[in-house]
Amino acid sequence: MKISINWLNDYVDLKNISINEIVDKLTYAGLEVEEVDDQAKKFENIVIGNVKEVKKHPNADKLSVCKVNDGKDDYSVVCGAPNVTAGQKVAFAKVGAVIPYGGMKLEKVKIRSEVSFGMICSERELGLGENHEGIMVLDPSLKEGLSFADAMELNDTILEIAITPNRADALSHIGIARELSALFDLTLKYPDVNLKESGKRSEELASVEIKDPDNCPRYIGKAVSNVEIKESPDWLKKRLKSIGLRPINNVVDVTNFVLHEVGQPLHAFDLDNLGGGKIIVRNAGKDTKFTTLDSKERKLQSNDLMICDVNKSVAIAGVMGGENSEVTSSTKNLLIESAYFNPSSIRKTSKNLGLSTDASYRFERGTDPEITKWAARRAAQLIQQTSGGKIAKDEIDAYPNKIYSRKCGIRFNRLNKILGYQIGASEVEKILIKLGFIIDKKSFDELTVTVPSYRHDIEREIDLIEEVARIYGYNKIPEVSKISVTLEEKVDHSAFNDRVRELLNSLGFYEIITNSLLSEDIARRFGNAINLLNPQSSEMSHLRTSLIPGLLTTISNNIKVNEKDIQLFELGKVFEKSTNSDINDFKDFTELEHLLLALTGNRIRNEWFEKDYPFDVYDLTGYVESFLTKILPDVTVNIKSISESGSKFDYSFDLICENQNTGFGGRLKKEFCTLFDVDQDVYMIQVDLAVLKGINISKKIFNELLKFPKVYRDVAFVLDVNITSDQVTSIIKEASTNLLHNIKLFDIFQSESLGKGKKSFAFQLEFFNSGRTLTEEEVETDFRNAIKAVEKIFNAQLRGS
Amino acid sequence: MIDKIDETRKSFDEDLSKVENLTSLEDLRIKFLSRKGLVSQLFESLKDVSKEDKPKVGQALNQLKIHTQSKYDELKEKLEKDQKSSEEFVDLTLPGRKHVIGSKHILTQTLDEIKNIFRGLGFSVYEGPELESDYYNFEALNFHPDHPARDMQDTFFVTDKFLLRTHTSPVQIRLMKEKKPPLRAIMPGKVFRNEAISAKSYCLFHQVEGLYVDTDVTFAELKGTLVAFVKQFFGQNIKYRFRASFFPFTEPSAEMDIWWEPKGKQGRWMEILGCGMVDPNVLINVGIDPEKYTGYAFGMGIERTAMRKYGIDDIRILFDNDKRFLTQF
Repeated sequence: MKISINWLNDYVDLKNISINEIVDKLTYAGLEVEEVDDQAKKFENIVIGNVKEVKKHPNADKLSVCKVNDGKDDYSVVCGAPNVTAGQKVAFAKVGAVIPYGGMKLEKVKIRSEVSFGMICSERELGLGENHEGIMVLDPSLKEGLSFADAMELNDTILEIAITPNRADALSHIGIARELSALFDLTLKYPDVNLKESGKRSEELASVEIKDPDNCPRYIGKAVSNVEIKESPDWLKKRLKSIGLRPINNVVDVTNFVLHEVGQPLHAFDLDNLGGGKIIVRNAGKDTKFTTLDSKERKLQSNDLMICDVNKSVAIAGVMGGENSEVTSSTKNLLIESAYFNPSSIRKTSKNLGLSTDASYRFERGTDPEITKWAARRAAQLIQQTSGGKIAKDEIDAYPNKIYSRKCGIRFNRLNKILGYQIGASEVEKILIKLGFIIDKKSFDELTVTVPSYRHDIEREIDLIEEVARIYGYNKIPEVSKISVTLEEKVDHSAFNDRVRELLNSLGFYEIITNSLLSEDIARRFGNAINLLNPQSSEMSHLRTSLIPGLLTTISNNIKVNEKDIQLFELGKVFEKSTNSDINDFKDFTELEHLLLALTGNRIRNEWFEKDYPFDVYDLTGYVESFLTKILPDVTVNIKSISESGSKFDYSFDLICENQNTGFGGRLKKEFCTLFDVDQDVYMIQVDLAVLKGINISKKIFNELLKFPKVYRDVAFVLDVNITSDQVTSIIKEASTNLLHNIKLFDIFQSESLGKGKKSFAFQLEFFNSGRTLTEEEVETDFRNAIKAVEKIFNAQLRGS
Repeated sequence: MIDKIDETRKSFDEDLSKVENLTSLEDLRIKFLSRKGLVSQLFESLKDVSKEDKPKVGQALNQLKIHTQSKYDELKEKLEKDQKSSEEFVDLTLPGRKHVIGSKHILTQTLDEIKNIFRGLGFSVYEGPELESDYYNFEALNFHPDHPARDMQDTFFVTDKFLLRTHTSPVQIRLMKEKKPPLRAIMPGKVFRNEAISAKSYCLFHQVEGLYVDTDVTFAELKGTLVAFVKQFFGQNIKYRFRASFFPFTEPSAEMDIWWEPKGKQGRWMEILGCGMVDPNVLINVGIDPEKYTGYAFGMGIERTAMRKYGIDDIRILFDNDKRFLTQF
């Protein structure tokens, strides 16, 4: 919202307060000043000059050389304007000035060998109009040397203030002035409204019927007749222009002025176009269309509140008037509307229409029901001032649903309990009075006040506490320098994930964070995706059902910048509908936390000590096993390959921890990667973190270090190629006693020399007993049994025998 | 014969002097000292020498043998030593075999820093769901169904009652419903806003929420705690201010700004967090007596904080996950 400092000065005297102080105090008090536009600044170094002498330029026909006085010195200025003559008062831009139009900075220059110390400006150069025919000739009574901004009253400062949604009362100049009166302890003065009323009473010229008093508790109508619609006077145009409004005509300008003066939106109807001279406030009902004064046809909902006459709708209440009753150049008689509408009704209508106006913006936040009459009278006064016109006596005041003022109390000890700081009772009282509260009752420990009708946000004690604290100044409330730490149980939901991250970092993985929103096509490939009702784009219309698309997009983006070797992981939520019905409850969808780990490209890319080494699936399973041994020590982990790999994997495996399905992984299919523009192998594993977290790790207990020697036996078998290492080791384990502790596969060999379709696995078996030294015989027995079992079950042969 | 021996000796000495490495030394050995070498051949021809000359020639031959063998051994030892020392030459300027250590995303790192500061101040860490109900995200937090405050949050809706949470504040409600005061916790997580993606905004970001409810929690303590935080996070000399603001779920409400002066640019106040005293309506909604208990709450954006700290000016780079970016932190 734009606020003019000059305008504010009509209500509070700010002459002795700097703009910086105003900006700071307002900002501290919750009315955040986002921008300060010091208009005088652009006229810096531009002063009123007196043209003392004009001579023809010796070397140029169309130029003259002028002697301009700035109140102190004479300057030689070259000027090209045809209308420059001696004795004029002009806008003299001195060396150092920046010309508002175009932004040229003036320096001392030579123009065709004549020195020029500045420039005499045209209206356009000053940014004040379009005229560039000649220089701007000023009022001869202006004194030379005055700053141009001051002399022309172009010295306003415009503040852009962000008003929070609770502060409807501050959406006007008087609203801000009231705030400043409390902040700087100034007197707030409303303009006097003394009307010269004559002729009939408003009631005799028009009537008002409210059919929906809930949504229109109060409606004031005031008639003004015999007006002349014309251009507004300069002062009015200047006020409106200063806050960025375009002047239209005197009547419309007055209603806009009053809106920005006091925050009450007004509407002026052409009374002669009001059928039956009657206003009926009712729901749109069966009316479905209405043309607003911007000539746009609007679609109505049946419960939109409308202003109607006996035949037709004439305005969408609180939002915008209709084309059929707007004030035109031929309008003679007016009915000024000043109403209070139910905020939620206006809000709904404005939302339905997708139309927000200065009026609807204020009504939906809550205007002041008690300022309506004053505002109607103020508008009548200004209309009369600007257009003649005859103000009818009295106002029609339809107020079927009286809004009573609220009472509210504030206990001083409560104030202290909330703030942790004592503000004196007299200070509290003063602040509330300045903000317009009426003190009803005062006692040693409590104040009871009547809340002003413009403060819809004040209902409770805590609201008053905030008012006091805010105006007193948050920065004056000292912060404590020590705190006590309570000893309740400390919980850390993020600890497990943090550990996951750290372990994966130590294995070389970088963490990524990707978008949780995906296109429908991609999201549906991984599950029963949930769609957004109001997506930004079709690319982001569904919640992610998997972290894989985000990962592949990341890999693809990296390949594009030639980063092809990557180890990545993401921890994030994925979402799916549980059923096909709508989501009405938390059980209708799942929100799971996944961990995705991926490898692509090379582990080693041509080093002096090793050649290219592309990642493969054993890197993936190796990382996963290293990670799991750390995160879940002593937990049995099983990686089971699946032959049926579905549409996404060339080959894949299930990860099983403590007999629970914990995740799956493998090498992604090329065709699948291509969807994301990835043309290299990607190995990945997806882990359900809830399962991982749910696995109960028994408390780690120290294992005694082995005091007796370990015994090793090596053996190599020749086997059919399709026999897995896991199959062989489990048979070895089965056939051995508990003396066997570890089996290490240390060599794989495949060659024609072994026979077609054969391979060799070499294992090292580790035997020990933590309580004693093993005998040769018992190890030998175990070892022989193991060999026999493998030979028998897999029809294997001992290699080298 | 003696001449022949002398000749051989000369030829040996000459060849020996030309030997440069073990290979040519081996050639020398084969030529002179092998089974069919020149020295052996001379011994062969000893049988043809007359009896009376034999002792003399034999002696000369033996001397030749000793001479060649010892010269050979000596040189061999030397050459082997040379070779060994050249084999042991270590070029420490070669690049070492590096191992990659990954890193947490910069947002996680920033959050870690924030968490650590608040853990030190006695805060727990709680998390909650991202797909929330209107009740937890708005209603219980004192956003009336029809209040313009809902405009402050551009919400992604899934149905009219479920949505992607617009802030981490719903976790406050969950925590207060689950446990009795004293409650002191921060609640980090992902939140969503229906804002067009640009350098300044993304459709999702991360927040960390703070909550403290107990019998004597005050605004002065809220200020003290947050000042301690910004000083630890941004440095002891950071300039800050609190100004009044509005949030439906706190009252009095404030925003905290810090003075930000990027190198070579004009300094200005930058908002870093919103905070306030928990609104009594919120306490009532979760069944806590607002006369007995008071509380404070605060919330800050992690992206904004990280961007400020590391001088990043485009939020999108945080979600591009470019390796050249990831490896910097």
